[in-house]
Amino acid sequence: MAHPLTTCTFCGAGCGLHLETQGGRIVGVYPSRSHPASQGRLCVRGWHVHEISSAPDRLRRPLLRTKREGTEFTEVTWDEAIAFLVERLHAIVSRHGPEAVALFCSPRCSNEEAYLLQKLGRAVIGTPHVDHGAGVYANNSTDVLARLLGCPAATGSIADLDRSEVILVDGLDLARQLPTIAGRVIRARLRGAHLIVLGERSHRVAEHAEHFLQIRPGTQARLYAAMAKVIADRGLHDREFLRDRCQDADTFLNAVREVDLLGAAAACGVDPAQIEEAALAFGRARSAAILYSTASPRSPDVIEALVSLSLLTGNVGRPGGGIFPLAEHNNLQGVCDVGMLPDWLPGYRPVTSAAGRAEVERRWGTSLPAGPGLSAAAVFSAREPGPIRALWLTRYDPVGTGPGAARLLEACDLVVVQHVFRTETAKYAHLILPTTAFGEEQVTFTSTERRVQLAAQAVPPPKGVEPAWRQLAQVARALGASWTYPSAAKVMDEIAEVVPFYAGISHAALARDHGRQWPCTPDRPTGTRTLYEACDRVVPFRLISPPARPHEEPVDPSYPLTLVFGRSDHYWNQNVLVQHSETLRRENRLLLLDYPDGFVELNPEDAKGLGVRDGERVRVVSVEGAAVTDARITPEVRRGAVFAPFFASQVQALVQGSDPEAPALLPVRVEKEVSAP
Amino acid sequence: MKARVLDSADVLRVVDLLRSLGYQVMAPFVEEGGDGAFALVTDENRDDIALHIHNPLYPPKRFALPAIEPLLEIRGHGAETRFRPLVEAPRVAVFGIRSCDVAGIDHLDRFFLGGAYRDIYYATRREALLLVNVVCTQPGVDIGEACFCPCTDTGPAAREGFDLQLMDLGDEWLALAGTPRGEALFDEAIFRRATPEHVERRRALLDQLRTKFRTYTSWFAAAVSRITRGEVPEGTWEEIGRRCLECGGCTYVCPACTCFTVSDRPDGPDRTERVRIWDSCALSGFTRMAGGHNPRKAVHDRRNRRFYRKLSQPFIDRERSVACVGCGRCADVCHGDVGMPAVVELLRRGPAPQGDPTSVAASPQRSDLEAGGRP
Repeated sequence: MAHPLTTCTFCGAGCGLHLETQGGRIVGVYPSRSHPASQGRLCVRGWHVHEISSAPDRLRRPLLRTKREGTEFTEVTWDEAIAFLVERLHAIVSRHGPEAVALFCSPRCSNEEAYLLQKLGRAVIGTPHVDHGAGVYANNSTDVLARLLGCPAATGSIADLDRSEVILVDGLDLARQLPTIAGRVIRARLRGAHLIVLGERSHRVAEHAEHFLQIRPGTQARLYAAMAKVIADRGLHDREFLRDRCQDADTFLNAVREVDLLGAAAACGVDPAQIEEAALAFGRARSAAILYSTASPRSPDVIEALVSLSLLTGNVGRPGGGIFPLAEHNNLQGVCDVGMLPDWLPGYRPVTSAAGRAEVERRWGTSLPAGPGLSAAAVFSAREPGPIRALWLTRYDPVGTGPGAARLLEACDLVVVQHVFRTETAKYAHLILPTTAFGEEQVTFTSTERRVQLAAQAVPPPKGVEPAWRQLAQVARALGASWTYPSAAKVMDEIAEVVPFYAGISHAALARDHGRQWPCTPDRPTGTRTLYEACDRVVPFRLISPPARPHEEPVDPSYPLTLVFGRSDHYWNQNVLVQHSETLRRENRLLLLDYPDGFVELNPEDAKGLGVRDGERVRVVSVEGAAVTDARITPEVRRGAVFAPFFASQVQALVQGSDPEAPALLPVRVEKEVSAP
Repeated sequence: MKARVLDSADVLRVVDLLRSLGYQVMAPFVEEGGDGAFALVTDENRDDIALHIHNPLYPPKRFALPAIEPLLEIRGHGAETRFRPLVEAPRVAVFGIRSCDVAGIDHLDRFFLGGAYRDIYYATRREALLLVNVVCTQPGVDIGEACFCPCTDTGPAAREGFDLQLMDLGDEWLALAGTPRGEALFDEAIFRRATPEHVERRRALLDQLRTKFRTYTSWFAAAVSRITRGEVPEGTWEEIGRRCLECGGCTYVCPACTCFTVSDRPDGPDRTERVRIWDSCALSGFTRMAGGHNPRKAVHDRRNRRFYRKLSQPFIDRERSVACVGCGRCADVCHGDVGMPAVVELLRRGPAPQGDPTSVAASPQRSDLEAGGRP
């Protein structure tokens, strides 16, 4: 085949694209017209994968740090690298125990490498600390969806958004983060679908919405509860669905009817009539879909509220309806499916479940560490030194994407980095292992619509560079395990044995028809387009009643604004892949060029009240401390909210004091910074 | 223009002939998933060439202007710095290039070769490029839903710009030579004289084919007039800008778009490669200047620029036509349905009634057509 078909390495939309190769390099890219989710479209990142893939400054040899202090590295052979690794690991484990080791991966790692990484950690080293780097918000989503519905994944398919009568987009800049899906939503709107957008910040898709509810930060749960009340009051709820498929429907309905709509509207800072209109549109729709991002601050109660709204209207299991926890990374779904989570084993078996552990132990032939591990967020945000003394990082660049990591990395006795390019994190490594880039190996990725896709190998990797999954197997063997995986396809065969909803998946099966959406099992060999269709469901869905007296944080007049941090806007800014494309680097750093010292965003009226103009220095003060940065004034931001983009590390450090497991919403005040003479 | 006829069974022998003359022949093949692509013909795949296929999405302009093109190799430092140009001239024949894409190559020729500065990289590739145009004759197969070449007068059969043109008349194919290079191929035994009857069959078939383009249309005249006279309301540009997701796709797939940027890519401590990469005026950084000024910062200002460049009279005067060849690819790759047909509709209609975006949905969506309309 002339131009191998593959799936994009960036976001979770999982667009299909073809790679043009010449002389062993990837020199061009174009979309796959026939791809069911992307249908011939790509975003600016997808249009530039060839530029990144052909970048010449690749890591080519293992690099060992020569001095205890300093960042000099020397090239070593693979055997020397493995020998060093084994010796250092043994030393650490014998002195501090296996729980001193943590293994973290990028949510862009393939299924094969993520699966072997967590297996290396749990089965060979004996540590429970495995996680992906996308953060706690993704894990909140996994937990809640598993608990309420059973399956932590999108209930529908991207193509079915064409059939949605109502699409609700909550809290993400869809057009920037998952543009192909934003395109679907906009085209659906042009054909007459209703669009409801919630969020503190306006963005491209919000400009298309009939119902844009620009709510106060952190009030989504109340908004969803208010919408549920309107729907229940008007009798628009799906009685049959509630009766046949949900537990405790009556309790939920009673609680929902007690919701104080006017109080909710006041708390959210929107007109109650707006809530009513949006609720009626949602309730009357034959199919209504809710889209949110797993990369945005979102506490469990928010996810519970939106799931309950979807269940109330019978949308779960309806094509064109349902819930889309959008993954902003191309394999966030996959790395979670195969167990790169500290509290879930492969296949979403809770680590605390004896039966679940027994199943995996039986297949792996080893015992597993008890108890959940530490998350990457917890490890990197800890103020005091914790138990971690050794870190394995696959394609993950925590130093490049947030503060806190550098401190820990410096304190570790062993840091191993597997990557394609020399990242900021690699500077802290003791051992750097070069690995394969996009298009250089045949592996699989699972998109946000549960589509497991085969990424074909288009070109060979640089001479001497092995796939990450193969390196992990080598290390496992050096540590005494008897792992034999002659190919990535064989790794997937094992995944299919261990993860029940991947049972029908193999590289051969995926080579047809743009992959398979899981569950893909022997009785569903072509996969599943919509979860929970009427015929499927056995265990009832859970509804979570809104609290009778919602907690309202009193506003401290010393900190009258709310700092919103950690949303994924500008997430790709610092990313090493983006740095390797002239175009993407240019596009992603545009804002930084205008605000070279970073920025926080303020609404013009708030700014006026503070006497702050665009580009002026401001001091953001919280009860924990202060950060100084520049102000970017934009009407996109709601009054009362202050936005810190993803990479604003001084501001992030400010937020660091709060609980890393909770969404980052901090009461602050903003002052004009008077420069020192 | 000299005309010949050949049997259907002999059409692929033209490919063999070109290969024997030393050309790398690029021909259309069906790919995975049913997508089509131009790829190198080898002994193994020669029989799989797909003569009638939806025009592949990846535009053949890449054979004259690659997506990433090496320009220079730079080695050494300071006074020892050495520059080595990397000018390539592979002999490439594109067998099966469509009439719209032939017109696109003409636009590129005018841009890269027709002005005061002659681009050496483009010129070298172009001189070594041979174009065998195959006329689109099968509605639903060659002629896709997004095609609108009759509106740009670039098809279904190109009148010039090809070395050789082949047209499927059924049992026989008609061949036209557009250049001496093309004519030289007529020495082959597979070609025999054409008769006036063949020419008449061609004319009749083309007349009939022009009626098969129904789905997307692009009636340019009113749009050209309005845009030239500055009569397009700001609100229309804002509507277009709202629907644009700044992906650059329309520019990359457009056979008539030429923009590029230059990038230096380090390769170890001693070597840098300088490459030319396709760029797009859809992107915000395209016009940003050192110091921060950006004359086309807002997305609707960028979209305004694109369509002004393609449709306004001053540019038509310079380019001899609108800078659109009617291939429909921009419509295929656009997220927000603001490809050329949709934008021309928006420009023709004038301002939309307030608050009713459905009134300016211009073109039927492919998924609509597949699903047979909205449920």
